[in-house]
Amino acid sequence: MDIEPSDLIVGAMMLVFGVIGLILAAGAVDDEIYVFGLSLFAFACIFLIGQVRHHFDRQHAARAAVVAKDNRHV
Amino acid sequence: MSDVALPAIAAPGDFARSVARPAVVYNEAIVKKSVIAAMFWAVIAMTVGVYIATELAWPAFNFGQSWLSFGRLRPVHTSAAIFAFGGSALIGTSFHVVQRTCRARLFGGDALANFVFWGYQFFIVMAALSYVMGFSQGMEYAEPEWHIDLWLTVVWVCYAIVFIGTLFKRQEEHIYVANWFYVAFILTIAVLHIGNNIAIPVSIFGAKSYEVASGVQSALIQWWYGHNAVGFFLTAGFLGMMYYFIPKAANRPVYSYRLSVVHFWSLIFLYIWAGPHHLHWTALPNWTQTLGMAFSIMLWMPSWGGMINGIMTLSGAWDKLRTDPGLRFSVTAVGFYGMSTFEGPVMSIRDINALAHYTDWVIGHVHSGALGWVAFISFGAIYYLVPVLWQRSGLYSNRLANWHYWVSTLGIVFYITSMWVAGIMQGLMWRAYDQFGFLQYSFAESVVAVHPYYVIRMVGGLLFLTGTLIMVYNLIQTVRSPSTAVSKALPVGAALAAE
Repeated sequence: MDIEPSDLIVGAMMLVFGVIGLILAAGAVDDEIYVFGLSLFAFACIFLIGQVRHHFDRQHAARAAVVAKDNRHV
Repeated sequence: MSDVALPAIAAPGDFARSVARPAVVYNEAIVKKSVIAAMFWAVIAMTVGVYIATELAWPAFNFGQSWLSFGRLRPVHTSAAIFAFGGSALIGTSFHVVQRTCRARLFGGDALANFVFWGYQFFIVMAALSYVMGFSQGMEYAEPEWHIDLWLTVVWVCYAIVFIGTLFKRQEEHIYVANWFYVAFILTIAVLHIGNNIAIPVSIFGAKSYEVASGVQSALIQWWYGHNAVGFFLTAGFLGMMYYFIPKAANRPVYSYRLSVVHFWSLIFLYIWAGPHHLHWTALPNWTQTLGMAFSIMLWMPSWGGMINGIMTLSGAWDKLRTDPGLRFSVTAVGFYGMSTFEGPVMSIRDINALAHYTDWVIGHVHSGALGWVAFISFGAIYYLVPVLWQRSGLYSNRLANWHYWVSTLGIVFYITSMWVAGIMQGLMWRAYDQFGFLQYSFAESVVAVHPYYVIRMVGGLLFLTGTLIMVYNLIQTVRSPSTAVSKALPVGAALAAE
């Protein structure tokens, strides 16, 4: 199964957000920006992991559908 | 009276046509997530609301903790109610409605829709966290500081791309009126949010920022934003919900489609001017105050036109109010919409505002809209959506939904009547003079006088929260209980109707 363009675009956005989060946390002069920066980084990481999971879930479902179709012909 | 029928309610000819067209697989996962989030945030918002109402009646309940103080928890309550509960309900229903009325899967793929949902939830959590940590711009309903505002801008632009992109790829020729209301909500909130949050941070690595505008200009921009947050977030968006879910639940077309179009254009033209009525008797120029007041009064016309259109959609289907508790919530919501949109213009009249402003009458007015209109129309939509999305035969218990309806309605009555009495009493006490021309009452005396009504308000909120918890249990059981499982496949016609 091909990767959808939106997966790539959103994935790239998440990389950018994650880096911004780390930069904000590293230079933070108050607790709010420190917490926000680290949370943004965590959000980006978890979202990316979710995207990877969704990709393989879809791939697995597509394979299962093909197998089910083949079995019906037998 | 309807000129154009709701596309999803198919006429016999449409049925043959829709069978001939390839089926569209909708993104229902995102709608399910939004429904769950809406109910989660509803409970949080109402719990915090009851807690801060308790603090107002008995201030010792802040236990001397700064993060538990009314000043920090109040924006948590308002943001959780408006943006978290209301926003999640709007995002979920708008994605549901646009897909079905356009016969198209969401534009931008699942990744972009997921980003909109999770990005929005991230915004809510970050905003709430910043409030309890003591960070705020000090602007009502726009409390988050610059970095959270920027994040919301990114998420909201993606939301607009998904929604408007889906409209562009639609397979239906007509754009159903509910989508117009949702588009107005999305675009106007973007403009308002950016306009009201133009601020310069002290440091790129610090949360504190200062707004570009100052003084009365800042106040005017704030209430241009604040009142239109009511107009376009809490009204236009939920009217989109009304125009889809009431006809669907009643299985009737909109009473007058032409009236719905007139309702749309008149509402969006008039609402945007009404903000200055929040600044009567201030340094704002007199003509600007009068302009805001005049446009607020003119808002009676579209508001009541829309209310009549929503209620009259039940013509020929009034009996469903006895059997469908979700529809009863929706129709009662429209009644509250009519009531609060009558009360609002009355309160915007300058001489009445002299009595009402800064009193708890305003709080009562806001909650008749927030609980009676926003929450009830969302509950009606969610009661309709959950069996459809999770493919269940119906609600787990209509009796529990009835209990929810009556407990919540009683809660609203307690809330708004106590705030009316408290507010008018405050207004009268603050303006009372004695025979020597001195103020008759000190401020502290007015605080003591309203104490019983603050307790009644807290009880009203508790009743409303209880009703919501009953709903949450009913919905969980609807999804999980074997008694709501669909025992056999639906016939084709029924499946299409469910779509």
